[in-house]
Amino acid sequence: MRIQLQNCEFILLPEKALYRPDESLLVIADVHLGKARHFRSEGIAIPASAQNGDYEKLRTLFDKFHPFKVYFLGDLFHSRLNNDWQLFESLINQYPHITFTLVKGNHDIINKTLFQQLHIQVVNHIEDKCFIYSHEPLKENASGKVNIAGHIHPGIHLSGKANQSLRLPCFYSTGTTFILPAFGSLTGLFMMDRNNDTEVYVVLPDNIKKI
Amino acid sequence: MSDKYPIANEWFSRSGWQPYDFQIKTWDAILSGYSGLLNAPTGYGKTYAIWFGVVQQYFNKKKQPAGLHCLWITPLRALSKEIHMATERVSDELGIDYTIGLRTGDTSNKERTAQKKKMPNGLITTPESVHLLLAQKGYADTFKHIEFIVVDEWHELMGTKRGVQIELAISRLRAINPKLKVWGISATIGNLEEAKEVLLGSAPQKQTMIRAKLDKKIIIETLLPDVIEKYPWAGHLGITLIDKILPVIHQSNSTLIFTNTRSQCEIWYQRLLQYDPDLAGIIALHHGSLSEEVRQWVEEALHEGKLKAVVSTSSLDLGVDFRPVDTVVQIGSPKGVARFMQRAGRSGHQPGATSKIYFLPTHSLEIIEGSAIRYAIKEHLIEQRIPYIRSFDVLIQYLVTLAVSDGFHADIIYNEIVQTHCYESVTRDEFDWCLAFITQGGQLLDNYDEFHKVVIEDGIYKVTSRRIAMRHRLNMGTIVSESMMQVKYLGGARLGAIEEWFISRLKPGDAFWFAGKHVELISVKEMSAFVRKSTTNKGLFPSWQGGKMPLSSQLSKTIRHRLNEYQSGAKLDAEMDKLAPLFEEQKRRSHLPHEDELLIETAKTRDGYHVFFYPFEGRNVHEGLSALFAYRIAQIKPMSFSIAFNDYGFELLSDQEIPLEEALANGLLNNDNLTEDMLACVNITEMAKRKFRDIAHIAGLVFSGYPGKPVKARHMQASSQLFFSVFSDNEKNNLLLQQAYDEVLTFQMEQVRTLQSMERIQHQKVVIQHLEKLSPFCFPILAERFREKLSNEKLEDRLQKLIKQLEK
Repeated sequence: MRIQLQNCEFILLPEKALYRPDESLLVIADVHLGKARHFRSEGIAIPASAQNGDYEKLRTLFDKFHPFKVYFLGDLFHSRLNNDWQLFESLINQYPHITFTLVKGNHDIINKTLFQQLHIQVVNHIEDKCFIYSHEPLKENASGKVNIAGHIHPGIHLSGKANQSLRLPCFYSTGTTFILPAFGSLTGLFMMDRNNDTEVYVVLPDNIKKI
Repeated sequence: MSDKYPIANEWFSRSGWQPYDFQIKTWDAILSGYSGLLNAPTGYGKTYAIWFGVVQQYFNKKKQPAGLHCLWITPLRALSKEIHMATERVSDELGIDYTIGLRTGDTSNKERTAQKKKMPNGLITTPESVHLLLAQKGYADTFKHIEFIVVDEWHELMGTKRGVQIELAISRLRAINPKLKVWGISATIGNLEEAKEVLLGSAPQKQTMIRAKLDKKIIIETLLPDVIEKYPWAGHLGITLIDKILPVIHQSNSTLIFTNTRSQCEIWYQRLLQYDPDLAGIIALHHGSLSEEVRQWVEEALHEGKLKAVVSTSSLDLGVDFRPVDTVVQIGSPKGVARFMQRAGRSGHQPGATSKIYFLPTHSLEIIEGSAIRYAIKEHLIEQRIPYIRSFDVLIQYLVTLAVSDGFHADIIYNEIVQTHCYESVTRDEFDWCLAFITQGGQLLDNYDEFHKVVIEDGIYKVTSRRIAMRHRLNMGTIVSESMMQVKYLGGARLGAIEEWFISRLKPGDAFWFAGKHVELISVKEMSAFVRKSTTNKGLFPSWQGGKMPLSSQLSKTIRHRLNEYQSGAKLDAEMDKLAPLFEEQKRRSHLPHEDELLIETAKTRDGYHVFFYPFEGRNVHEGLSALFAYRIAQIKPMSFSIAFNDYGFELLSDQEIPLEEALANGLLNNDNLTEDMLACVNITEMAKRKFRDIAHIAGLVFSGYPGKPVKARHMQASSQLFFSVFSDNEKNNLLLQQAYDEVLTFQMEQVRTLQSMERIQHQKVVIQHLEKLSPFCFPILAERFREKLSNEKLEDRLQKLIKQLEK
């Protein structure tokens, strides 16, 4: 689904990512790589393969959009360094023409020199002419720019007649803040409120619906 | 009396008592080396029937070994304390050298350390504490001389995973000491013989069953409203009968008032005080979420006869004997015959006394249960307890427990566990799967794996990481509760615990009722909610999640039978007379079903299209049948349903017209493909997901931490639902996943019962009524708050519909 933010066109993708065609920029939040292996190293038997889908999904997006730039909006890795790094490394090395930037999140505790060795920049936020990209939504934003952020893992609860209801991930926009759904498959949802000032874009398996 | 048991002889002659036959029989059996099950009611000396056998056997030895000789396991700390007092009295008064210790969750660290140095001869404890002992280094030495395990209230434990823990502990201790004797004490249930087999396991041993055959007389009186409400909303009627309950309290010495939920317990306590302020200070409440201090105070006050009444949940069901109590009231459906008899037995404990119990129905249709239960008790229709089998979660926890203490050899433990009832059908492959689960985190391995939990050194499975050992010890047990918040006064006094989700809906300043007190929330810090006395007079009552108990098959069958008798014009009892206007109204608006009829009602309201079915089989079976019927109807065309059920029937509600006639013609009620359809209906997955919550905790995938202690390792937290979907996507053969489905089929849907009821429904005449006005039968179902969903419409279509409704 195409939307306009600050007169720029963005495409909301059902893969739970955001694409900005004019800059060939792909924005992805809260992947939480290495989570399964982190659990396993602590004796919790979650299948390591549980996260393979996330790598595949990233490849699919890179191959489909051929972005020049990719911003990871924080929580790219779930915890300390583990063997998932090797999977990540081979993914990044496969796309030498893409410029990757990591906006640091609260989970990102892996030493930034490791990222730099892969030519990934690590920053606290990114600001351009119209937007501020951050991990946590900014508490104050008087810049007149739109803040694009992650961290929240937004979801929405819809209910209707005959007691029908659904819980789905969403893109969530309120005022000057635009929040991405969490990309990673091993993440949960935080239920958001809906009111006159909010715009909610629900993520379905194959498309996005505004409600 | 024979001189075979001098200790008992002396005790009884000192007290001037005569032993019962069953006591003598039990002593004989114990002294002749038998294991067995003793079936006797509370209050007739069942404790001493076992105890004097155990102690006599000890002193009959040529040399009395030091250390642990008998392990006495009870389901409740309060009961442990009572047994401790009773047995210690024997040692003290007779001056015999048999020491007795107590070890429960309340036991101090100091005492634990002292016990570790020198174990008492008898240890009164709980299933959890036994497993904690197995998690200690050198446990085999502790249990070296153990000769007896006694399991009190086995009927309570058998149908739970705590019962499985006991089976496992017995299998281990029997290996340490092959002469071990096992005795169970059980109230009357429908499958006593099976209860004995489950407890004793298949290891060769002399075994016997001793039945006290002391029938207790129970008088049941239903508190009836003056005028019957013909449109019975669930939960409405109860409180209006409060003026009937007050005289009962005043006429009695001390009354126990049982409710079915903790929430009801709080509400009734409050209302009683409101209607009769004179009761202030002489009534109290008691339920499992109150702090230990509060509960202990109530129990002591009850013992001392200081309380006129206590409103309680099942927390006072068991064992402990409160002499001053002479009256019992049951509020709401008794749910089962055995449970009702147990509660009735809380009064008139003295041998030969009559137990009097009042039944207070909470909606008018429930009145019928007073009549039904009287019939069931007269005809001895008592429920069975279904033991758990193949509980891989408990097995995995147990294996890690053994790995934490001294480590284990796989072959030895496998041979032990297949002698238990729970695991007798577990194959070596399945056992190996469990081993792989704890050593390599599953069967699939990749090159990058870093799984670490249990390691194998020289063929011994052990835990080497102190952190993993510590976390395991903190999370042992099979009782999984919601995430709890401690409720405290600012000064620090603890009131008890409320589920986190309830507190999270409150804002500071909001008032609520808890522990019988009216408090207001001040602040929430980590896992504590701080409160002070409220000055307002409004407030919410907390509620606790947790399964609702279903009506037992014995009771539901009796209800169908009673309805039939009513129709035949027989003069029955006060309850059925009272219900006559409601039944007549049901006839006028719809139809009153005979035993050989299945009533189906349809209606259209603002909410959509309703279909009500009335099999009268209890809520568990209805939960299964409703999902099955919804699934079968949705095969005609894609539909979404909301489903509600109670003990009498269930409702399917949809935003589209429900093609009932077509579904019936297509074999809605058919027995063909029943199991396949049950497994196919979406709700099984939903139900299994819920069951998996406990399983994931028990198997150590999810940590709850200790109550009151905040979970520190947030980054280690994932919901059981996430595990469920990950296993479903990646590891279909995961035994824990399969266990979740098995538990749904066996316990939740009561598969056997569901198959039996479908069989019965096949032969029933279907009566369809299209309602213009809603009928008395359907009201309580409409009022059920808890609802299931089932849909096979496409996600996008469902969303589209929801959006359209929002736009209207």
